[in-house]
Amino acid sequence: MAVKVEEINLAALETQLDRICQGCDLYNSAGCNPSQCLVGFARKVLSFAAQKKLLDIPGASRLLPAQDFKPYYPEQVAGAIAETCRQCRQCRDNHSPDCVVALVRTALESALLQETIDYPGSTFLYLARVKEQHPRLASLLARELQKADS
Amino acid sequence: MGEGYFKQRNGLIAVDIMAACGVMTPEQWAGLGQAARENNVFRLKMTARQTVVVLLPEENVEKLVAALEPLGLKVAPFGKVVRPVKACPGNQDLCPRAIADALGLGIAIQEKCVGQEVPKDFKIAVAGCPRGCTEPQCADFGARASGQNRFDVFIGGRGSTVKPVHGVPLARKVTAGQVMQLLDFVLERYRNLAQPHERLCQTLARVGENQFQPPAELLAAPEEEASEFARFLQGGGGGN
Repeated sequence: MAVKVEEINLAALETQLDRICQGCDLYNSAGCNPSQCLVGFARKVLSFAAQKKLLDIPGASRLLPAQDFKPYYPEQVAGAIAETCRQCRQCRDNHSPDCVVALVRTALESALLQETIDYPGSTFLYLARVKEQHPRLASLLARELQKADS
Repeated sequence: MGEGYFKQRNGLIAVDIMAACGVMTPEQWAGLGQAARENNVFRLKMTARQTVVVLLPEENVEKLVAALEPLGLKVAPFGKVVRPVKACPGNQDLCPRAIADALGLGIAIQEKCVGQEVPKDFKIAVAGCPRGCTEPQCADFGARASGQNRFDVFIGGRGSTVKPVHGVPLARKVTAGQVMQLLDFVLERYRNLAQPHERLCQTLARVGENQFQPPAELLAAPEEEASEFARFLQGGGGGN
């Protein structure tokens, strides 16, 4: 197939998500409920994909926990969203909203943006779309991506 | 059922030969080439339907056709039948862009349906990614991959003639197995509803798309992975 899950660095995504969890007030507490948490959902996606060796989890995008109203800050999630940009294989016409990379990105976007973004196939265009809704996040993402390039 | 023999203006006979959706082994190509040399074949022509037309003198036709069976090749059916299936090379081995096994599905459809009688020629196309190289929306029945073992299905397309028509969506994100069931359903409805010599796009225009609405069970979303993931999401492991 065009892209295999083995080609995606799931560990790099997991590391970024773990950082968000470590900064969460509910971390390691009884109130931590991954199935009701956007970051918990993203981590479950990665774990499921690794176990099942799936790049695409049909229908998973419908299970996104829309009722997670915890406060998230752009500084918290920019690193993880930037990692999804790095891991994205620019499938363009083959893009699936149920791709594990898209699922993680969508979950994290939902933490900050009013509307999720259909990934336009290039990081540059993606940043332009993020900027329309959240200039601060776009700026942080650009900085994170520059860090990776340098 | 008619077969693909056509007398040409120059007196030669064109024989239309089909393989597994246009894919041949080296042995098949070499064997066909050998049979062509031995039978005074003038030219071989690859067709838009992924068949090979062989042009040869009438007296050599029988011998050439006899050489096809040992090679696993056949004369294609022609006329008011399901025609050879056009499928892209979309599978794990042959196309880097494929997201589902279009070639496997195309071959399975061809093995099951080719030559079945219908009111007018019935063309099928299968594509392994949304680029749709085999133009599934220009076929009477088209399947276009939309995910791993997921296909969108279109019916009523017609690529040729002076009035080309794009097919209308029949189903989204169904499995290869569901595509086969939907094809059976569409063929049955077409046979029941079409007037003689009426192409599917014309039948659709006359009776309406609702007459081809498949029963719910044929469209039921294949939820195995989603259900399993939903259980996984509620259960232990992962998360913080």
